[in-house]
Amino acid sequence: MSSRRSRGTTRITDEQIVELVSKLQQLLPELRNHRSNKVSASKVLQETCNYVRSLHKEVDDLSDRLSRLLSTIDDDSPQASIIRSLIN
Amino acid sequence: MHNSSQLKNEFIKKWIQGLQIYCSSKKQMNLLERTKKIKLSADIALASAKHSATCWSKAIISEAKKDERNTILINNLSDPKMNFKCAHQNLACLKRIRSRKILKKSCDVGIKMKKMKPRRQVSNLATCIAKRLVKKRTQVLKRLVPGGESMDEYSIIKEALDYILSLRVQVDVMKNLVNATTNFE
Repeated sequence: MSSRRSRGTTRITDEQIVELVSKLQQLLPELRNHRSNKVSASKVLQETCNYVRSLHKEVDDLSDRLSRLLSTIDDDSPQASIIRSLIN
Repeated sequence: MHNSSQLKNEFIKKWIQGLQIYCSSKKQMNLLERTKKIKLSADIALASAKHSATCWSKAIISEAKKDERNTILINNLSDPKMNFKCAHQNLACLKRIRSRKILKKSCDVGIKMKKMKPRRQVSNLATCIAKRLVKKRTQVLKRLVPGGESMDEYSIIKEALDYILSLRVQVDVMKNLVNATTNFE
């Protein structure tokens, strides 16, 4: 990144970005086992995008499943409140 | 610092609240509508559990506010202070992005001139390709993270970190609820 003068905002160093990228790498299931110096930033970013997409899809699937399950017990309110207490 | 268990508890509380609001409003809902409501209440609950600490959470709430049907839900779940901070920060972000774009354009011309030199051509090309790849991936990530369009490179990575951790919490809780409901029957 070229150095630039920006009014009021602090300059972000390359090291800070590298640190963030390595933190991101630790989170990703695909890349956790690789040694950090062997994974490029673009690979980390690509895996991040894939991971976010898969998490979104999981949320959609779970919403769908919940919707189907709740539709069968909607009429029976004691069951619904029991489930709520189970979660809490 | 991301505190998972605290976020989890906040999320569960708010999500149950949201679900109760929907249960009390309409008794008859078709499957698709119900799925949408469940997902929406989960997303809003997750975002408001962050208490305006991150850009992505504010973006989710401001996006949801655009639909009038969500007003009751949002009013019950989120903090009213979020409104003013959001707009102001977005404007500042957009200004920063615009000035960076202008700066980048003028820098790119400089890079093209440098590429003319035969000596360091190879290493410059590799760096250029690497930079383009990173830029491309960053663009994709910006579209995936809510509110990402108006963020610079550093912020989008930071937001993505937090967003992933929060999404995991959301998936965890939803999975537990599904499992509990399935086993109960």
